[in-house]
Amino acid sequence: MIGAGAFTLENPVALWTLIKREMKRTWVVINQVIWPPIITTVLYVFVFGLALGSRIGNTQGVPYAAFLIPGLIMLQVIDSAYGETGSSVFQGRFLNHIQELLIAPMSALEIVLGFVLAGIARSFLIAGLITVLGLALVHTGPRDWLLYALVVSMVAVLFTSIGIVFGLMAEKFDHIAIFTTFVITPLVFVGGVFTSIRFLPPLVQQVSLFNPMFYMIDAFRYSFTGRSDVSLVLSLGIVGSLSAVAFAAALTMTAAGYKLRV
Amino acid sequence: MSAAIEIEGLVKRYEDLTAVDRVSLAVEEGDFFGFLGPNGAGKTTTINAVVGLASFQEGSIRLFGYDVVREWRQARALVGLAPQEYNFDRYLSIRDILIYQGGYYGLRGPALRRRADELLERFGLAQKANVFYTRLSGGMKRRLTLARALIHQPRLLILDEPTAGVDVELRLELWDFVRELNRSGTTIFLTTHYLEEAEALCRNIAIIERGRIAARESTRDLIGNRSLQDVFLELIKR
Repeated sequence: MIGAGAFTLENPVALWTLIKREMKRTWVVINQVIWPPIITTVLYVFVFGLALGSRIGNTQGVPYAAFLIPGLIMLQVIDSAYGETGSSVFQGRFLNHIQELLIAPMSALEIVLGFVLAGIARSFLIAGLITVLGLALVHTGPRDWLLYALVVSMVAVLFTSIGIVFGLMAEKFDHIAIFTTFVITPLVFVGGVFTSIRFLPPLVQQVSLFNPMFYMIDAFRYSFTGRSDVSLVLSLGIVGSLSAVAFAAALTMTAAGYKLRV
Repeated sequence: MSAAIEIEGLVKRYEDLTAVDRVSLAVEEGDFFGFLGPNGAGKTTTINAVVGLASFQEGSIRLFGYDVVREWRQARALVGLAPQEYNFDRYLSIRDILIYQGGYYGLRGPALRRRADELLERFGLAQKANVFYTRLSGGMKRRLTLARALIHQPRLLILDEPTAGVDVELRLELWDFVRELNRSGTTIFLTTHYLEEAEALCRNIAIIERGRIAARESTRDLIGNRSLQDVFLELIKR
């Protein structure tokens, strides 16, 4: 049952406090949240971008290493947005400190927004650091910062919301990893991080069009290269719609007290 | 003046089990109220319904006149809960636990930080302000539970087994503190398995058994010339 006022926004201090709390958690576990995606990206850039990439030639009109950077940013943003939020929500339930939020005068909207806005901030931090790496190592950066910010924000909303949903549903930490292992990683890897779908066999190209990750990566890459495999409007429409659905799901579950209130 | 707690016809069911069965209870503002019962009687379920951690199927709960379902923001702002278990945020220092909890209640700025420091001082935790709670002893964690519940200066303090597992010295210290708090106007709602604690502290007592109120009287009238333990055992064996 969803109570009255679950979707109201009247306690901005609480919302800000939750955002700060999530960022504090990120800082405390920085070796788990921030450095691994950066180090992994450096390795990808050296091995695939600079070593193998020099033999591949141009992709979408840019050197392969420059083509790779936006895909790697998406890979890490998606992974972090989902994983960190899912862990934080589940840990809050597991250790019961989420009760601090539940007994306070905070609405479901304020709680969900707190996690999502913190997820966006964390995503920009990771995306920004990898972008700096791209500028330093491959001399490539975004041409369209507005589109860059829009896609990072939408993808962060989508995957922090999914993180909340799985953080609420999970019965053990292992359950958080299921979505990463069986959904995120395979779909991201075949979604265009390492190659344009134009290089894939026709049948696989058709299948890729059902992969939502492809649209995220394609739209984001457009902010770097100015080129995309499908219409930018279509990609933004799909990512925006998925983000809205995921946010609504996280909000509804939180408002209903799913596995939060007995 | 509204009662601090007004529960009317509260029913909470878990599938086939009725954990709380038409419970009605009023606690006057300023009271020191004991809510006793054996394990599984419905004490924690009732508390959870009062603070918003549990939904319920029938009945109503009002805190200082505010309905906990329809006017939950106003109601929750007036209550502090010190749960039995240590459910602290492990990513925050002791001082931050208090400051962030205050933030969830809409408090901020120097006044909040001063309040946190006062509580740390009052509960003998100032020296540990910057450590994580896992570094505290059991007694310190118990004091931190109380400090956190008081950060927003609630008019109603709910104590769920506040002295479970603490030594005699700290127990007496906590008794003194909650007595002082009650004298200054805070309504106290206490659950405890230590019947001598309820007898020593509470002006009024309700006993819940199998989800129903078995007795609700002033402590003096309830025990007469017997001990609370005798009365309690008699009531729960009926």
